[in-house]
Amino acid sequence: MTDSHFSRRALMRYGAYGAGAAALAGTAASWDRLTGADIPGRDDGSLVVATLGPAYGPAAIRTLTEGFKKVHPDIKLRINAVQATDWSDFFAKILTQIAAGTAPDLVYVATEGVQLFAQRLGVALDKWVKRDADELREYFADVHPSLVESMMYEGSLYQLPVEFNAADIYLNSQVLKRAGASFPAADWTRDDFTALLRDMKKSSGSQFTPYFWTNRLWGGVVPWLFANDTNLLSESKAPGGSWLWDSFYPAADRQGRGGGYRWTTPQATHERVEEAYDYLASLIQEDLCTRPEGGNGQNLIGVFSTGRVGVTPAGGFWAGGLNLAGMKDGSFDVQYFPRWRTQRMQFGAAGYALLRTSKLQDEAWEFIKFASRRDTLMRLFETNQTTPARRSMLTADRYREMGPSHWQVFYDTLDKFPDTGPIPAPPQVAEVEQVLLKHTGTALASRRSVAPALRRMQSDLEKAMERDV
Amino acid sequence: MTNTQIPAVRPQQQVAEAAPAPRPSARERGTRLLAALFLAPTIVGIVIFTVVPIVGSIVLSLFHWNVIDSPTFAGAANYREMVNDSTVLVSFRNTLVFMVLAVALQLLVALTLALAVNGRMPVWLRSVFRSAFFFPLILSAASISVVMKYLFNQDFGLVNWLLGLIGIAPVPWLTSENSAMAAVILVYVWQQFGFSFLLFVGGLNNIPKEIHEAASLDGATGLRKHLSVTLPLLSPTLLVASVVGIINALQVFEQPYVLTNGGPGDSTRTVVMVIYETAFEQLRFGEASAVGVLLFVLVMAVTALQFRLSRRFVHYQ
Repeated sequence: MTDSHFSRRALMRYGAYGAGAAALAGTAASWDRLTGADIPGRDDGSLVVATLGPAYGPAAIRTLTEGFKKVHPDIKLRINAVQATDWSDFFAKILTQIAAGTAPDLVYVATEGVQLFAQRLGVALDKWVKRDADELREYFADVHPSLVESMMYEGSLYQLPVEFNAADIYLNSQVLKRAGASFPAADWTRDDFTALLRDMKKSSGSQFTPYFWTNRLWGGVVPWLFANDTNLLSESKAPGGSWLWDSFYPAADRQGRGGGYRWTTPQATHERVEEAYDYLASLIQEDLCTRPEGGNGQNLIGVFSTGRVGVTPAGGFWAGGLNLAGMKDGSFDVQYFPRWRTQRMQFGAAGYALLRTSKLQDEAWEFIKFASRRDTLMRLFETNQTTPARRSMLTADRYREMGPSHWQVFYDTLDKFPDTGPIPAPPQVAEVEQVLLKHTGTALASRRSVAPALRRMQSDLEKAMERDV
Repeated sequence: MTNTQIPAVRPQQQVAEAAPAPRPSARERGTRLLAALFLAPTIVGIVIFTVVPIVGSIVLSLFHWNVIDSPTFAGAANYREMVNDSTVLVSFRNTLVFMVLAVALQLLVALTLALAVNGRMPVWLRSVFRSAFFFPLILSAASISVVMKYLFNQDFGLVNWLLGLIGIAPVPWLTSENSAMAAVILVYVWQQFGFSFLLFVGGLNNIPKEIHEAASLDGATGLRKHLSVTLPLLSPTLLVASVVGIINALQVFEQPYVLTNGGPGDSTRTVVMVIYETAFEQLRFGEASAVGVLLFVLVMAVTALQFRLSRRFVHYQ
């Protein structure tokens, strides 16, 4: 017998191989494959709500799921706490989920993403708001119209704000005392601010930085632009929105309201923008503040609570953070952002955006209403980790134990300075923010580098704004 | 007269060579099939996780796609946009600078320490050093970068505090265009050199002692011995270490992303950072893929060049 013929043993061996391979292939083909839909809660009819993970711990998730179950036992709810370092990272992960075909029904979206989601992914809430107007009257009466307006896009409402944070100034009391300075007045100016920083620097060692700030869209350069009566992008209001203002707000509050903000033409080379950058560059040159790359939120609480930083811009969210870091009431306080040409301040708000891809839109609306109820927010924001959008929740009781003494500043930023508005966040926000951060770094290298860097920023912003998202 | 050529081989040999190769025996065929079965999972893995994404990226680079809407064919538009984008060009320059400096430093540090550890010392101490030098490699690059960011902070970092004790003014490690890249390279090399170090230790142990002894008898000592004996014999290991080092360095992401976020300005922005930002932050997946394709070509070209040069510089025993 030649090699071209199989021996009986070889034939049996090959037969066994073949049978084994066929069995493997058959098993693989018949096996229930894991997909995104196999993750518990997905595709089982649950209403899926994506939230920013670090802001929503297990207790918050329990509050939402158990509370919602009591009100709507018929709707299965799943909170998907997405871990992300910031809003930009969070949106990137949500968009990846959408691309993977596992889009949530609702996404917790801050001002940074309101227009991006509204334009490309969101559903306007108008029809439900009109339908349940009576039920919502109490909510709108409790929420400042500026916050609501920041959630509108081209005349329609896309989210009910549940929290916000304006960039106020936190001051370390120990550092103030060391500098022999008194707590600043509510109408303090930019010059008062600079003088305070110099006093703080004089009275502290070399390892001390009076002003700490984080280079980001919220709370970075933008508060100074607002205070200098300018903005990174030209700001206007979209027409429309009267359906909401006329239904829920008194005439005085309707004044000047529209259908949401529009941020269009870049104006980085505007002389007031340059002034703001010149001012920050001068603070850096004098060693009165951190460089843009030096400051970041991760180490801020540590350096502030240990007296290595005197002042920093932050929102109501920081009261809880400082308390957790061991700072007691009286060891820090908060004041409005200083006046320059104006005392207009910036804020960012957040709420739940309903996605077009959701098959549970009515159920999602029920969740949006539930999440904006006072009792829900009371349980959710027990630790003062943010400023609630409802004015009635900001009481002396809330801040009695952890401070700050001037807690009224948080909401009065909106009430006393009615032109206070949201950070500029058009649908192209991701690229706008990246351009801002990048060129802010180079602009503040020295006073001479401000103008060239702003020219490059202007050019890059123009390109970014020309792009369709 | 015809030009009759003398056959180079004898007719019997010609016949033997012209004859078809004997068919493999059933046993050989079984062995080959078994080998194929064992290799199959790896091949399937490479196809699914390497080949398909590469082809997918090349295809995607010809489309505009923002995840939300359907892709639209763009032809070479993404490539045109890429070459006109100053950020992309700067990122390639940064990546090449990073690659050259980081790999050179990594190999130098690893080789120096490997030679030192291979010298005379107690076995237990050698083990301690080997573990200590390798340890950073098993840690997460992102975690290390977060810690290093604290250490190198200009205002509050431990490094500047220590420098302050000896009267040195705070250094803007991560906040100056001049020093940020150096700081990123230092952090990267500190974490990565352990791999090259282990390769070199292995390579050094494979060099027969007799060769060193012969060199000593010929009068070679110290640096001369290392340059003329150790390095040539270590050249195959050096090639592997440099190929792996260069491929890794061209794909650097975590360290600059966490330490400087590409700044100040674009001074530490690398190609992979641009790919990530363009795709996942700006939702321009087509352009990001075009940048990825160019990076792929660059990695292939550099690696091919290395292997070509290795014919001249690498000596196998």
